[in-house]
Amino acid sequence: MKKITQWIDRRFPMTAFVKKELSEYPTPRNLSAWWNFGSLSGVVLVIQIITGIFLAMHYKPDAMQAFASVEHIMRDVNYGWLIRFMHSTGASAFFALIFIHMARTLYYGSYRAPRELMWWSGQVLLLMLMATAFMGYLLPWGQMSYWGAQVITSLFGAAPFIGEEIVIWLRGDFTVGDATLNRFFALHYLFPFLIVGLVMIHLVALHMVRSSNPSGINLADKDNIPFHPYFTVKDLFGLSVFLLIYAFFVFYSPNLFIEPDNYIPANPLQTPAHIVPEWYFLPFYAILRAVPDLVGGVIAMGVSVMIFAAMPYLDRSKIPGGARYRPIYRVLFYLFVVNVLVLGYVGAKPPEGWLVPLGQVATVIYFSIFVFLPYISKKEEIWLRAKGLPSVVEELICAEEEEKGKRSQRKNRGKE
Amino acid sequence: MNILVKISLLLTAFLVLSPASASTAAMPLAKLDIANDKESIQRGFEVYYNNCRFCHQLKYIKYQYLPDIGFDKAKVDALRGSQLINASLQSTMSEAAANEVFGAIPPDLSLMAKARKQGPRYIYTLLTAYYEKSDGGYDNKLMPGIKMPDPFGYSVANENSKVAIEAEAKDVVAFLNWAADPHADERKSLGIYVITYLIILSFLLYVIMKRVWRRLPPPVSEQL
Repeated sequence: MKKITQWIDRRFPMTAFVKKELSEYPTPRNLSAWWNFGSLSGVVLVIQIITGIFLAMHYKPDAMQAFASVEHIMRDVNYGWLIRFMHSTGASAFFALIFIHMARTLYYGSYRAPRELMWWSGQVLLLMLMATAFMGYLLPWGQMSYWGAQVITSLFGAAPFIGEEIVIWLRGDFTVGDATLNRFFALHYLFPFLIVGLVMIHLVALHMVRSSNPSGINLADKDNIPFHPYFTVKDLFGLSVFLLIYAFFVFYSPNLFIEPDNYIPANPLQTPAHIVPEWYFLPFYAILRAVPDLVGGVIAMGVSVMIFAAMPYLDRSKIPGGARYRPIYRVLFYLFVVNVLVLGYVGAKPPEGWLVPLGQVATVIYFSIFVFLPYISKKEEIWLRAKGLPSVVEELICAEEEEKGKRSQRKNRGKE
Repeated sequence: MNILVKISLLLTAFLVLSPASASTAAMPLAKLDIANDKESIQRGFEVYYNNCRFCHQLKYIKYQYLPDIGFDKAKVDALRGSQLINASLQSTMSEAAANEVFGAIPPDLSLMAKARKQGPRYIYTLLTAYYEKSDGGYDNKLMPGIKMPDPFGYSVANENSKVAIEAEAKDVVAFLNWAADPHADERKSLGIYVITYLIILSFLLYVIMKRVWRRLPPPVSEQL
């Protein structure tokens, strides 16, 4: 065994890699359970790919056969129901984990320098995940699949001049049809592998800048502990708890995440009374509908997803540790979370009565938080520093300012 | 911990609120205990076979599934006649003919128990919501203007036969609930093993985690 390892190590840095990036990879010892969600998302990605490959062995991406082939999987294929429910529940689990992962980053300010590239690669991963989920949702070819795709693809018609052409190009037809189903299936199979690639980049960036931690302070070297066994066992425990919750939904409530209308085969001639997207799109869908103008709504929805990327610049506070030392930022964080839940609620309901103004107010709040953040975060920093911060935090800020000053001096000298 | 509690409260509130999306039903759905025993499902099959089948097909139910609800081979062979064992249960009336007579294509019933919100209760309520109009015709309180004729004659039944019809409706709901998800029982019984296994695994991993972390010397940084 040792000989084989040596043979490989002379040709490929296997042992060194495992040591550096896994077993001895230094990790902050104070990571809380909120730092489990990245690795959990990775596991769900693997579950989705494996179950997806087995589903693809029995599924037929054909408008005449798709719905029946899903029922064939559910009824005739050995444990097909299990694979299908794992996949459909897995999609919801994936978004739940990613949203918590993002919320953790926002709460603890992990998006700030030097972790901007982690945050942006995560933002692209979110977009790819959304695209994959959206295309996958068409495949069962139920009523909600069909009309959901019809509505969302038609949004691209809001593009100036060539809107209509883009919609036809996306669908491959004048309406959602067999061509759309086929291409969505092909892309739904492709995207997860692109996501795997980008996850690798996300991880390379992580191992460059290392994990942030709840204190927001770079810890003394001794307080970074080896990943193995401390975090392998912690991640395994987290995984086991996650699988427990996941299994509960797969075995006892698998239809909770499937609209009843999606058990009716797609019918291009009959629009469902009320078209709703999957729950993970509801807040963004509510923003889309809150703007009376279609083009404006599409722009607002796009911005609402993409605006997270600007966080490293919108948050101008130098105080480390995210919301931990920042009471106002903490209030804004909870306001944001509650507001997103309100938007989700509005998005799930038909746009009637008091829900319309509620959705509009929630949309304004959603964007206001981002727009006013630069001002609020700066004011908050000044206020907190005048009031007096814990000495470790204050020292850290001073050290950072000094470092910055030196850097700009060096830059100026270079110019001279 | 504080944050954990807050977030879980928010999530619970969200989960409680979200399924309450507006139902457009004209009347509230009847309360119903869905039977899941083989006898009820078999009786429900008979009700389907002798009534509903004339118009409604069960596209995704094949004769080969029927042993699952307790029918023996002889019974299944008698039901299918010259049809293949993997043939699905077709209606006796063609879609075109039904469309001509009733002005609508009778929907496939295989998935009906899942294709409506609270499907089983919906079906039961629909079947027992027929009433006699003052002009002698009938209508349905759940779905006014329904095209389906009152299948059990509920609208003109007296109190005694209403009870019998309600029992029949309950049985057919039990059968359709099985038809929509034939593996539901298997799923639930398998789930017990999976969840028990995961509970034990989580417990063991928790113990190991605590033991591993105990080895760690106390932190150096003061703020931890």
